[in-house]
Amino acid sequence: VSATTRDDLAVPGYACTVDELMVVTLAREFTNDTRAFNGAVSFVPVAAYLLARRTHAPDLVWAASSIAIDADPPQLAESTLSDAIWDGASMLANSPFDFWSYAQGARYNTFAFRGAQMDRYGNVNNTVIGPYDAPKVRLPGGGGMADLSCMIPNIYLWSTTHDPRTFVDKLDFRSGIGWGDGGDHRERLGLPGGPRLCVTNLCVFDFHPESKGMRLRSVHPGVTPEQVHDVTGFEVLLPDGEVPVTAEPSAEQLRILREDVDPTSMRLREFA
Amino acid sequence: MSKIQSIADAAELVPDGATVAIGGLSMNATPMAFVRELVRRQVKDLTLVPIVNGMAVDWLIAAGCVSRVVSGLVSFEGFGLAPNFRAAVQSGQVALEEYSEHLLIARMQAAAYHLPFMPTKAGIGTDVLALHPETTRLETDPATGESYVAATPLPVDIAVVHAHAADERGNVRVDPKLVWMDSEVVKAAATTIATVERIVPERSFRSEPHRTTYPRFVIDAVVEVPWGAYPTSNFPDYQHDAGFFRAYSAASRDPDTFKQFFEERVVAPETHAQFLDANGGAQTILSIRRRTM
Repeated sequence: VSATTRDDLAVPGYACTVDELMVVTLAREFTNDTRAFNGAVSFVPVAAYLLARRTHAPDLVWAASSIAIDADPPQLAESTLSDAIWDGASMLANSPFDFWSYAQGARYNTFAFRGAQMDRYGNVNNTVIGPYDAPKVRLPGGGGMADLSCMIPNIYLWSTTHDPRTFVDKLDFRSGIGWGDGGDHRERLGLPGGPRLCVTNLCVFDFHPESKGMRLRSVHPGVTPEQVHDVTGFEVLLPDGEVPVTAEPSAEQLRILREDVDPTSMRLREFA
Repeated sequence: MSKIQSIADAAELVPDGATVAIGGLSMNATPMAFVRELVRRQVKDLTLVPIVNGMAVDWLIAAGCVSRVVSGLVSFEGFGLAPNFRAAVQSGQVALEEYSEHLLIARMQAAAYHLPFMPTKAGIGTDVLALHPETTRLETDPATGESYVAATPLPVDIAVVHAHAADERGNVRVDPKLVWMDSEVVKAAATTIATVERIVPERSFRSEPHRTTYPRFVIDAVVEVPWGAYPTSNFPDYQHDAGFFRAYSAASRDPDTFKQFFEERVVAPETHAQFLDANGGAQTILSIRRRTM
Protein backbone atom coordinates (compact mmCIF):
# COMPACT_ATOMS: atom_id res chain seq x y z
CA VAL A 1 0.00 0.00 0.00
CA SER A 2 1.76 3.17 -1.10
CA ALA A 3 -0.93 5.70 -1.93
CA THR A 4 -3.22 7.55 0.42
CA THR A 5 -6.54 7.77 -1.34
CA ARG A 6 -9.56 6.17 0.25
CA ASP A 7 -10.00 3.79 -2.71
CA ASP A 8 -6.45 2.45 -2.45
CA LEU A 9 -6.90 1.76 1.24
CA ALA A 10 -10.29 0.05 0.95
CA VAL A 11 -10.57 -3.30 2.74
CA PRO A 12 -12.36 -5.82 0.48
CA GLY A 13 -15.71 -6.86 1.90
CA TYR A 14 -15.54 -4.48 4.87
CA ALA A 15 -17.16 -1.04 5.03
CA CYS A 16 -13.86 0.58 6.01
CA THR A 17 -10.31 1.39 4.96
CA VAL A 18 -7.15 -0.27 6.25
CA ASP A 19 -6.18 2.70 8.45
CA GLU A 20 -9.55 2.37 10.16
CA LEU A 21 -9.15 -1.38 10.51
CA MET A 22 -5.73 -0.86 12.15
CA VAL A 23 -7.02 1.77 14.58
CA VAL A 24 -10.03 -0.33 15.60
CA THR A 25 -7.91 -3.49 15.97
CA LEU A 26 -5.52 -1.67 18.30
CA ALA A 27 -8.35 0.01 20.20
CA ARG A 28 -9.90 -3.39 21.00
CA GLU A 29 -6.74 -4.31 22.93
CA PHE A 30 -7.06 -1.39 25.34
CA THR A 31 -9.06 -1.53 28.56
CA ASN A 32 -10.03 0.61 31.54
CA ASP A 33 -6.66 -0.42 33.04
CA THR A 34 -4.70 0.98 30.11
CA ARG A 35 -2.58 3.96 31.16
CA ALA A 36 -1.00 5.25 27.98
CA PHE A 37 0.87 8.20 26.55
CA ASN A 38 2.29 8.89 23.11
CA GLY A 39 5.36 10.16 21.30
CA ALA A 40 5.94 11.71 17.87
CA VAL A 41 4.12 10.71 14.66
CA SER A 42 1.77 8.33 16.48
CA PHE A 43 -1.53 9.02 14.76
CA VAL A 44 -2.69 5.39 14.64
CA PRO A 45 -2.27 4.59 18.37
CA VAL A 46 -3.49 8.05 19.44
CA ALA A 47 -6.67 7.50 17.44
CA ALA A 48 -6.93 4.02 19.01
CA TYR A 49 -6.62 5.34 22.59
CA LEU A 50 -9.28 7.96 21.93
CA LEU A 51 -11.56 5.45 20.22
CA ALA A 52 -11.22 2.95 23.08
CA ARG A 53 -11.91 5.66 25.64
CA ARG A 54 -14.97 6.86 23.75
CA THR A 55 -16.38 3.33 23.36
CA HIS A 56 -15.61 0.40 25.68
CA ALA A 57 -12.92 1.83 28.00
CA PRO A 58 -14.09 5.17 29.44
CA ASP A 59 -11.56 5.04 32.30
CA LEU A 60 -8.56 4.51 30.04
CA VAL A 61 -5.82 7.05 30.79
CA TRP A 62 -4.18 8.77 27.84
CA ALA A 63 -1.63 11.56 28.25
CA ALA A 64 -1.55 13.43 24.95
CA SER A 65 2.08 14.03 23.94
CA SER A 66 2.93 12.45 27.32
CA ILE A 67 1.84 15.79 28.80
CA ALA A 68 -1.90 16.50 28.62
CA ILE A 69 -3.61 13.88 30.78
CA ASP A 70 -7.23 13.12 29.78
CA ALA A 71 -7.03 15.44 26.78
CA ASP A 72 -10.18 15.42 24.70
CA PRO A 73 -9.29 17.17 21.45
CA PRO A 74 -11.98 17.96 18.86
CA GLN A 75 -9.61 16.66 16.18
CA LEU A 76 -6.01 15.52 15.73
CA ALA A 77 -3.18 17.72 14.36
CA GLU A 78 -0.12 17.30 12.11
CA SER A 79 1.99 16.48 15.13
CA THR A 80 1.09 14.13 17.96
CA LEU A 81 3.46 16.14 20.18
CA SER A 82 1.52 19.29 19.33
CA ASP A 83 -0.32 21.33 21.93
CA ALA A 84 -3.15 21.42 19.41
CA ILE A 85 -4.32 18.06 20.82
CA TRP A 86 -4.32 19.07 24.49
CA ASP A 87 -7.80 20.59 24.76
CA GLY A 88 -9.84 19.37 27.68
CA ALA A 89 -6.92 17.98 29.69
CA SER A 90 -7.36 17.48 33.43
CA MET A 91 -3.63 17.98 34.04
CA LEU A 92 -0.64 19.28 32.13
CA ALA A 93 2.27 17.15 33.29
CA ASN A 94 5.89 18.23 33.42
CA SER A 95 8.40 15.86 31.94
CA PRO A 96 10.97 15.54 34.75
CA PHE A 97 8.47 15.52 37.63
CA ASP A 98 5.21 14.08 36.36
CA PHE A 99 6.24 11.82 33.52
CA TRP A 100 9.52 9.96 33.85
CA SER A 101 8.95 8.91 37.43
CA TYR A 102 5.57 7.44 36.48
CA ALA A 103 7.07 5.80 33.38
CA GLN A 104 10.04 4.17 35.12
CA GLY A 105 7.74 3.03 37.91
CA ALA A 106 5.29 1.50 35.36
CA ARG A 107 2.42 3.67 36.61
CA TYR A 108 2.06 4.23 32.91
CA ASN A 109 1.73 0.73 31.50
CA THR A 110 1.15 1.09 27.76
CA PHE A 111 3.30 2.48 24.97
CA ALA A 112 3.12 2.13 21.19
CA PHE A 113 5.94 2.75 18.76
CA ARG A 114 6.90 2.08 15.17
CA GLY A 115 10.11 2.28 13.21
CA ALA A 116 11.70 2.27 9.80
CA GLN A 117 12.76 -1.32 10.51
CA MET A 118 11.35 -4.02 12.78
CA ASP A 119 12.64 -7.55 13.46
CA ARG A 120 10.90 -10.79 14.46
CA TYR A 121 11.18 -10.04 18.17
CA GLY A 122 9.61 -6.60 17.85
CA ASN A 123 12.85 -4.66 18.23
CA VAL A 124 12.72 -1.43 16.26
CA ASN A 125 15.13 0.84 14.37
CA ASN A 126 14.42 4.52 13.87
CA THR A 127 18.03 5.72 13.90
CA VAL A 128 19.92 4.92 10.67
CA ILE A 129 19.58 2.83 7.53
CA GLY A 130 22.98 1.37 6.68
CA PRO A 131 26.13 1.47 8.81
CA TYR A 132 25.90 3.81 11.82
CA ASP A 133 29.05 5.74 10.94
CA ALA A 134 28.25 6.07 7.23
CA PRO A 135 24.47 5.91 7.06
CA LYS A 136 22.56 5.61 3.82
CA VAL A 137 19.71 7.44 5.51
CA ARG A 138 20.02 9.37 8.74
CA LEU A 139 16.63 8.95 10.42
CA PRO A 140 15.30 11.26 13.17
CA GLY A 141 16.61 9.16 16.05
CA GLY A 142 14.85 7.11 18.66
CA GLY A 143 13.84 9.95 21.01
CA GLY A 144 12.39 8.30 24.07
CA MET A 145 12.03 4.90 22.39
CA ALA A 146 15.16 3.37 23.97
CA ASP A 147 13.97 4.55 27.37
CA LEU A 148 10.31 3.69 27.27
CA SER A 149 10.75 0.34 25.53
CA CYS A 150 12.75 -0.65 28.65
CA MET A 151 10.31 0.75 31.18
CA ILE A 152 6.78 0.03 29.95
CA PRO A 153 5.31 -3.48 30.26
CA ASN A 154 2.67 -3.40 27.50
CA ILE A 155 4.24 -2.49 24.18
CA TYR A 156 2.23 -2.22 20.97
CA LEU A 157 3.84 -1.98 17.56
CA TRP A 158 2.35 -0.88 14.30
CA SER A 159 3.48 -0.43 10.73
CA THR A 160 1.78 1.10 7.72
CA THR A 161 4.47 -0.25 5.36
CA HIS A 162 4.48 -4.03 5.61
CA ASP A 163 7.31 -4.82 3.18
CA PRO A 164 10.74 -6.49 3.25
CA ARG A 165 12.48 -3.15 3.85
CA THR A 166 10.52 -2.64 7.07
CA PHE A 167 10.23 -6.22 8.38
CA VAL A 168 13.86 -7.28 8.27
CA ASP A 169 15.89 -10.25 9.43
CA LYS A 170 18.44 -7.98 11.12
CA LEU A 171 18.08 -4.36 12.19
CA ASP A 172 20.75 -1.85 11.17
CA PHE A 173 20.41 -0.37 14.67
CA ARG A 174 18.31 -1.31 17.70
CA SER A 175 16.71 1.99 18.79
CA GLY A 176 14.03 0.35 20.90
CA ILE A 177 13.89 -3.07 22.48
CA GLY A 178 11.03 -5.49 22.03
CA TRP A 179 11.71 -9.07 23.14
CA GLY A 180 15.46 -8.49 22.58
CA ASP A 181 17.12 -11.68 21.31
CA GLY A 182 13.90 -13.61 22.01
CA GLY A 183 13.03 -16.22 24.64
CA ASP A 184 13.59 -14.89 28.14
CA HIS A 185 16.15 -12.27 27.08
CA ARG A 186 14.02 -9.32 28.16
CA GLU A 187 13.42 -10.86 31.56
CA ARG A 188 17.14 -11.55 31.97
CA LEU A 189 17.81 -7.87 31.31
CA GLY A 190 15.45 -7.03 34.18
CA LEU A 191 12.91 -5.33 31.91
CA PRO A 192 9.16 -5.61 32.52
CA GLY A 193 6.63 -7.13 30.08
CA GLY A 194 7.27 -6.79 26.37
CA PRO A 195 5.52 -6.37 23.01
CA ARG A 196 1.96 -7.69 22.93
CA LEU A 197 0.88 -7.09 19.35
CA CYS A 198 2.07 -5.71 16.05
CA VAL A 199 -0.66 -4.37 13.75
CA THR A 200 0.30 -3.79 10.13
CA ASN A 201 -1.50 -2.77 6.97
CA LEU A 202 -1.67 -6.46 6.01
CA CYS A 203 -2.10 -8.44 9.21
CA VAL A 204 -1.90 -8.69 12.99
CA PHE A 205 1.00 -10.43 14.75
CA ASP A 206 1.17 -11.60 18.32
CA PHE A 207 4.30 -13.18 19.81
CA HIS A 208 4.96 -16.86 20.41
CA PRO A 209 4.86 -17.44 24.18
CA GLU A 210 8.18 -19.32 24.24
CA SER A 211 10.38 -18.05 21.41
CA LYS A 212 8.79 -14.56 21.42
CA GLY A 213 8.91 -14.56 17.61
CA MET A 214 6.17 -12.78 15.64
CA ARG A 215 3.26 -15.09 14.95
CA LEU A 216 0.34 -14.42 12.62
CA ARG A 217 -2.75 -13.78 14.70
CA SER A 218 -4.95 -12.76 11.77
CA VAL A 219 -4.75 -11.52 8.20
CA HIS A 220 -6.78 -8.60 6.91
CA PRO A 221 -9.48 -9.43 4.32
CA GLY A 222 -8.00 -10.14 0.88
CA VAL A 223 -4.56 -10.96 2.30
CA THR A 224 -3.23 -14.52 2.50
CA PRO A 225 -0.62 -15.87 4.93
CA GLU A 226 1.56 -16.58 1.86
CA GLN A 227 1.46 -12.92 0.89
CA VAL A 228 2.51 -11.94 4.39
CA HIS A 229 5.32 -14.47 4.21
CA ASP A 230 6.50 -13.04 0.87
CA VAL A 231 6.88 -9.46 2.14
CA THR A 232 8.34 -10.27 5.55
CA GLY A 233 12.12 -10.55 5.86
CA PHE A 234 12.02 -13.28 8.50
CA GLU A 235 10.14 -16.52 9.06
CA VAL A 236 6.58 -15.77 10.10
CA LEU A 237 5.30 -18.19 12.74
CA LEU A 238 1.81 -19.59 12.15
CA PRO A 239 -0.86 -20.35 14.74
CA ASP A 240 -2.37 -23.80 15.13
CA GLY A 241 -5.09 -24.35 12.53
CA GLU A 242 -6.34 -21.83 10.04
CA VAL A 243 -5.24 -18.20 10.23
CA PRO A 244 -8.31 -16.11 11.14
CA VAL A 245 -9.36 -12.95 9.32
CA THR A 246 -9.07 -9.71 11.29
CA ALA A 247 -12.47 -8.86 12.78
CA GLU A 248 -14.56 -6.18 11.09
CA PRO A 249 -14.99 -2.86 12.88
CA SER A 250 -18.52 -2.12 14.02
CA ALA A 251 -20.51 0.67 12.42
CA GLU A 252 -20.43 2.51 15.74
CA GLN A 253 -16.63 2.29 16.04
CA LEU A 254 -16.24 3.60 12.51
CA ARG A 255 -18.68 6.45 13.07
CA ILE A 256 -16.90 7.59 16.23
CA LEU A 257 -13.48 7.31 14.61
CA ARG A 258 -14.54 9.24 11.51
CA GLU A 259 -16.72 11.89 13.07
CA ASP A 260 -15.39 12.32 16.56
CA VAL A 261 -11.82 11.07 17.00
CA ASP A 262 -10.08 12.00 13.75
CA PRO A 263 -12.48 13.89 11.47
CA THR A 264 -9.64 15.43 9.42
CA SER A 265 -8.00 12.01 8.84
CA MET A 266 -4.59 12.95 10.22
CA ARG A 267 -3.91 9.20 10.52
CA LEU A 268 -3.51 9.06 6.74
CA ARG A 269 -0.23 10.98 7.16
CA GLU A 270 1.22 7.64 8.16
CA PHE A 271 0.25 6.15 4.81
CA ALA A 272 2.05 8.68 2.57
CA MET B 1 21.29 45.27 38.50
CA SER B 2 18.87 44.64 35.69
CA LYS B 3 19.33 41.44 33.75
CA ILE B 4 17.25 42.68 30.84
CA GLN B 5 19.30 42.75 27.67
CA SER B 6 18.75 43.33 24.00
CA ILE B 7 18.73 40.14 21.96
CA ALA B 8 21.99 41.25 20.28
CA ASP B 9 23.75 41.78 23.61
CA ALA B 10 22.51 38.48 24.99
CA ALA B 11 23.72 36.67 21.87
CA GLU B 12 27.24 37.90 22.66
CA LEU B 13 27.17 35.59 25.67
CA VAL B 14 27.50 32.72 23.17
CA PRO B 15 31.12 32.49 21.96
CA ASP B 16 32.32 30.35 19.07
CA GLY B 17 32.79 26.76 20.20
CA ALA B 18 30.27 26.94 23.05
CA THR B 19 28.04 24.05 24.14
CA VAL B 20 24.50 25.42 23.91
CA ALA B 21 21.43 23.59 25.18
CA ILE B 22 18.23 24.66 23.45
CA GLY B 23 14.95 24.43 25.33
CA GLY B 24 11.54 23.40 24.11
CA LEU B 25 10.34 20.10 22.68
CA SER B 26 9.78 19.28 19.03
CA MET B 27 7.41 21.95 17.64
CA ASN B 28 6.94 23.62 21.01
CA ALA B 29 8.38 26.51 23.03
CA THR B 30 11.79 26.75 21.39
CA PRO B 31 13.64 30.11 21.74
CA MET B 32 13.58 30.64 17.96
CA ALA B 33 14.13 34.42 18.00
CA PHE B 34 17.38 33.87 19.87
CA VAL B 35 18.35 31.02 17.56
CA ARG B 36 17.78 33.36 14.61
CA GLU B 37 20.10 35.91 16.21
CA LEU B 38 22.83 33.25 16.42
CA VAL B 39 22.20 32.43 12.75
CA ARG B 40 22.57 36.11 11.79
CA ARG B 41 25.75 36.52 13.84
CA GLN B 42 27.36 33.52 12.14
CA VAL B 43 28.52 32.00 15.41
CA LYS B 44 30.85 29.08 14.67
CA ASP B 45 31.58 25.56 15.92
CA LEU B 46 28.69 25.29 18.32
CA THR B 47 27.91 22.04 20.07
CA LEU B 48 24.11 22.01 20.24
CA VAL B 49 22.24 20.06 22.89
CA PRO B 50 18.59 19.83 21.81
CA ILE B 51 17.01 16.88 23.63
CA VAL B 52 14.13 16.55 21.15
CA ASN B 53 13.97 19.31 18.56
CA GLY B 54 13.83 20.16 14.88
CA MET B 55 13.70 23.62 13.37
CA ALA B 56 16.26 25.29 15.68
CA VAL B 57 18.85 22.65 14.86
CA ASP B 58 18.08 22.81 11.15
CA TRP B 59 18.47 26.63 11.01
CA LEU B 60 21.80 26.64 12.81
CA ILE B 61 23.15 23.83 10.63
CA ALA B 62 21.90 25.57 7.47
CA ALA B 63 23.78 28.69 8.60
CA GLY B 64 27.01 26.75 9.19
CA CYS B 65 27.09 27.46 12.94
CA VAL B 66 27.27 23.86 14.17
CA SER B 67 30.04 21.29 14.42
CA ARG B 68 28.36 18.83 16.79
CA VAL B 69 24.83 17.88 17.88
CA VAL B 70 24.10 15.99 21.11
CA SER B 71 20.48 14.84 20.84
CA GLY B 72 17.86 12.15 21.10
CA LEU B 73 15.72 13.09 18.13
CA VAL B 74 15.75 15.75 15.41
CA SER B 75 12.80 15.91 13.03
CA PHE B 76 9.80 17.93 11.86
CA GLU B 77 7.46 15.09 12.85
CA GLY B 78 4.42 15.01 10.52
CA PHE B 79 6.21 17.49 8.21
CA GLY B 80 9.08 15.10 7.59
CA LEU B 81 12.79 14.84 8.33
CA ALA B 82 14.85 17.93 9.20
CA PRO B 83 16.57 18.35 5.82
CA ASN B 84 19.80 20.18 6.71
CA PHE B 85 20.34 18.06 9.81
CA ARG B 86 19.88 14.90 7.81
CA ALA B 87 22.22 15.97 4.99
CA ALA B 88 24.91 17.31 7.34
CA VAL B 89 25.02 14.16 9.46
CA GLN B 90 24.96 11.86 6.42
CA SER B 91 27.87 13.78 4.84
CA GLY B 92 29.82 13.96 8.09
CA GLN B 93 29.85 17.77 8.08
CA VAL B 94 28.21 17.71 11.51
CA ALA B 95 29.05 15.10 14.15
CA LEU B 96 26.11 13.56 15.98
CA GLU B 97 26.50 12.36 19.55
CA GLU B 98 23.32 10.43 19.97
CA TYR B 99 21.47 9.40 23.11
CA SER B 100 17.88 8.75 24.02
CA GLU B 101 15.68 11.37 25.61
CA HIS B 102 15.90 10.05 29.15
CA LEU B 103 19.62 9.30 28.95
CA LEU B 104 20.14 12.99 28.14
CA ILE B 105 17.87 14.08 30.97
CA ALA B 106 19.75 11.76 33.33
CA ARG B 107 23.11 13.16 32.16
CA MET B 108 21.88 16.69 32.80
CA GLN B 109 20.55 15.72 36.23
CA ALA B 110 23.95 14.24 37.09
CA ALA B 111 25.51 17.58 36.08
CA ALA B 112 22.95 19.56 38.07
CA TYR B 113 23.36 17.50 41.25
CA HIS B 114 27.15 17.29 40.94
CA LEU B 115 26.98 13.50 41.02
CA PRO B 116 29.38 11.16 39.20
CA PHE B 117 26.36 9.59 37.50
CA MET B 118 22.59 9.31 37.59
CA PRO B 119 21.18 5.77 37.47
CA THR B 120 18.39 4.92 35.04
CA LYS B 121 16.87 1.90 33.28
CA ALA B 122 16.83 3.80 29.99
CA GLY B 123 18.38 2.13 26.96
CA ILE B 124 19.11 -1.32 28.43
CA GLY B 125 19.14 -3.93 25.66
CA THR B 126 19.27 -1.36 22.85
CA ASP B 127 22.23 -0.32 20.68
CA VAL B 128 22.08 3.21 22.11
CA LEU B 129 24.26 2.39 25.13
CA ALA B 130 27.05 0.97 22.98
CA LEU B 131 27.37 4.28 21.10
CA HIS B 132 28.89 5.96 24.18
CA PRO B 133 29.99 3.34 26.70
CA GLU B 134 32.04 5.98 28.53
CA THR B 135 29.08 8.27 29.30
CA THR B 136 26.29 5.66 29.56
CA ARG B 137 27.85 2.74 31.42
CA LEU B 138 25.87 -0.45 31.95
CA GLU B 139 26.54 -1.47 35.55
CA THR B 140 25.25 -3.90 38.15
CA ASP B 141 24.23 -2.84 41.62
CA PRO B 142 26.40 -4.95 43.96
CA ALA B 143 23.68 -5.08 46.61
CA THR B 144 20.75 -6.27 44.49
CA GLY B 145 22.37 -7.58 41.33
CA GLU B 146 20.07 -5.31 39.33
CA SER B 147 21.33 -3.70 36.12
CA TYR B 148 21.23 0.05 35.60
CA VAL B 149 22.78 2.62 33.34
CA ALA B 150 25.19 5.10 34.95
CA ALA B 151 24.65 8.31 32.97
CA THR B 152 27.58 10.68 33.54
CA PRO B 153 27.29 14.48 33.81
CA LEU B 154 26.78 16.43 30.59
CA PRO B 155 28.39 19.84 31.01
CA VAL B 156 26.47 22.64 29.29
CA ASP B 157 27.93 26.14 28.88
CA ILE B 158 24.76 28.00 28.03
CA ALA B 159 21.08 27.13 28.21
CA VAL B 160 18.57 29.14 26.20
CA VAL B 161 14.91 28.71 27.09
CA HIS B 162 11.68 30.48 26.18
CA ALA B 163 9.12 31.38 28.86
CA HIS B 164 6.06 33.52 29.42
CA ALA B 165 7.31 36.25 31.77
CA ALA B 166 10.29 37.54 33.71
CA ASP B 167 11.16 40.49 35.90
CA GLU B 168 14.28 42.60 35.58
CA ARG B 169 16.04 40.69 38.36
CA GLY B 170 15.76 37.46 36.42
CA ASN B 171 12.88 35.66 38.06
CA VAL B 172 11.17 33.64 35.32
CA ARG B 173 7.68 32.27 35.04
CA VAL B 174 6.57 29.48 32.75
CA ASP B 175 2.83 29.83 33.07
CA PRO B 176 1.13 27.40 32.75
CA LYS B 177 3.96 25.39 34.28
CA LEU B 178 4.91 23.47 31.17
CA VAL B 179 8.66 23.21 31.42
CA TRP B 180 9.18 20.24 29.08
CA MET B 181 12.74 19.23 29.93
CA ASP B 182 13.80 22.86 30.26
CA SER B 183 14.03 22.69 34.05
CA GLU B 184 16.79 20.07 33.82
CA VAL B 185 18.54 22.01 31.04
CA VAL B 186 18.59 25.17 33.15
CA LYS B 187 19.88 23.32 36.22
CA ALA B 188 22.71 21.72 34.24
CA ALA B 189 23.93 24.90 32.52
CA ALA B 190 26.60 27.32 33.75
CA THR B 191 24.77 30.27 32.16
CA THR B 192 21.09 30.59 31.29
CA ILE B 193 19.46 33.04 28.91
CA ALA B 194 15.67 33.28 29.07
CA THR B 195 13.69 34.83 26.26
CA VAL B 196 10.20 35.79 27.44
CA GLU B 197 6.93 36.96 25.98
CA ARG B 198 6.79 39.87 28.44
CA ILE B 199 8.63 41.66 31.22
CA VAL B 200 6.52 42.18 34.35
CA PRO B 201 7.25 44.11 37.54
CA GLU B 202 8.96 42.28 40.40
CA ARG B 203 5.87 42.70 42.56
CA SER B 204 4.04 40.41 40.14
CA PHE B 205 6.41 37.61 41.23
CA ARG B 206 6.31 38.54 44.93
CA SER B 207 2.52 38.58 44.97
CA GLU B 208 2.31 35.05 43.53
CA PRO B 209 5.63 33.38 44.38
CA HIS B 210 4.16 29.89 43.91
CA ARG B 211 3.97 30.61 40.19
CA THR B 212 7.69 31.30 39.79
CA THR B 213 9.51 28.65 37.75
CA TYR B 214 13.19 29.65 37.82
CA PRO B 215 14.71 31.77 40.60
CA ARG B 216 16.71 34.85 39.68
CA PHE B 217 20.05 33.36 40.76
CA VAL B 218 20.04 30.79 37.93
CA ILE B 219 19.08 33.28 35.22
CA ASP B 220 21.85 35.42 33.72
CA ALA B 221 20.04 37.34 30.99
CA VAL B 222 16.44 38.12 30.17
CA VAL B 223 15.34 39.13 26.67
CA GLU B 224 11.82 40.31 25.96
CA VAL B 225 10.62 38.87 22.63
CA PRO B 226 6.85 38.61 22.12
CA TRP B 227 6.07 35.71 19.76
CA GLY B 228 9.68 34.70 20.41
CA ALA B 229 9.05 30.97 19.92
CA TYR B 230 7.64 31.48 16.41
CA PRO B 231 7.46 29.36 14.22
CA THR B 232 7.23 26.87 17.12
CA SER B 233 4.36 27.15 19.58
CA ASN B 234 4.07 28.74 22.98
CA PHE B 235 1.20 27.13 24.86
CA PRO B 236 -1.43 28.41 25.46
CA ASP B 237 -0.95 31.61 23.46
CA TYR B 238 -0.03 30.40 19.99
CA GLN B 239 0.45 27.20 18.02
CA HIS B 240 3.26 26.21 15.68
CA ASP B 241 2.98 27.73 12.20
CA ALA B 242 2.20 24.72 10.01
CA GLY B 243 2.52 26.98 6.93
CA PHE B 244 6.13 27.80 7.76
CA PHE B 245 7.06 24.15 8.36
CA ARG B 246 5.41 23.12 5.10
CA ALA B 247 7.06 25.90 3.06
CA TYR B 248 10.46 25.21 4.63
CA SER B 249 10.25 21.48 3.86
CA ALA B 250 9.07 22.17 0.29
CA ALA B 251 11.88 24.68 -0.34
CA SER B 252 14.50 22.24 0.95
CA ARG B 253 13.94 19.89 -1.99
CA ASP B 254 16.08 22.15 -4.18
CA PRO B 255 19.34 23.73 -2.90
CA ASP B 256 18.89 27.07 -4.73
CA THR B 257 15.27 27.39 -3.71
CA PHE B 258 16.18 26.65 -0.12
CA LYS B 259 19.03 29.16 -0.11
CA GLN B 260 16.69 31.88 -1.30
CA PHE B 261 13.92 30.84 1.11
CA PHE B 262 16.28 30.74 4.09
CA GLU B 263 17.79 34.10 3.21
CA GLU B 264 14.46 35.88 2.69
CA ARG B 265 12.40 34.28 5.44
CA VAL B 266 14.98 33.71 8.19
CA VAL B 267 18.36 35.44 7.77
CA ALA B 268 17.71 38.79 6.09
CA PRO B 269 15.04 40.36 8.34
CA GLU B 270 16.89 42.60 10.80
CA THR B 271 14.41 42.89 13.62
CA HIS B 272 12.04 40.32 15.10
CA ALA B 273 9.14 42.40 13.75
CA GLN B 274 10.62 42.29 10.25
CA PHE B 275 11.09 38.53 10.64
CA LEU B 276 7.41 38.11 11.50
CA ASP B 277 6.49 40.36 8.56
CA ALA B 278 8.61 38.25 6.21
CA ASN B 279 6.51 35.27 7.26
CA GLY B 280 3.04 36.65 6.79
CA GLY B 281 2.95 39.25 9.57
CA ALA B 282 -0.43 39.95 11.11
CA GLN B 283 -2.18 37.33 8.97
CA THR B 284 0.09 34.61 10.32
CA ILE B 285 -0.03 35.89 13.89
CA LEU B 286 -3.81 35.83 13.86
CA SER B 287 -3.97 32.40 12.26
CA ILE B 288 -1.75 30.69 14.85
CA ARG B 289 -3.31 32.37 17.86
CA ARG B 290 -4.77 29.67 20.06
CA ARG B 291 -8.48 30.05 20.68
CA THR B 292 -9.32 27.21 23.01
CA MET B 293 -7.65 25.52 25.90
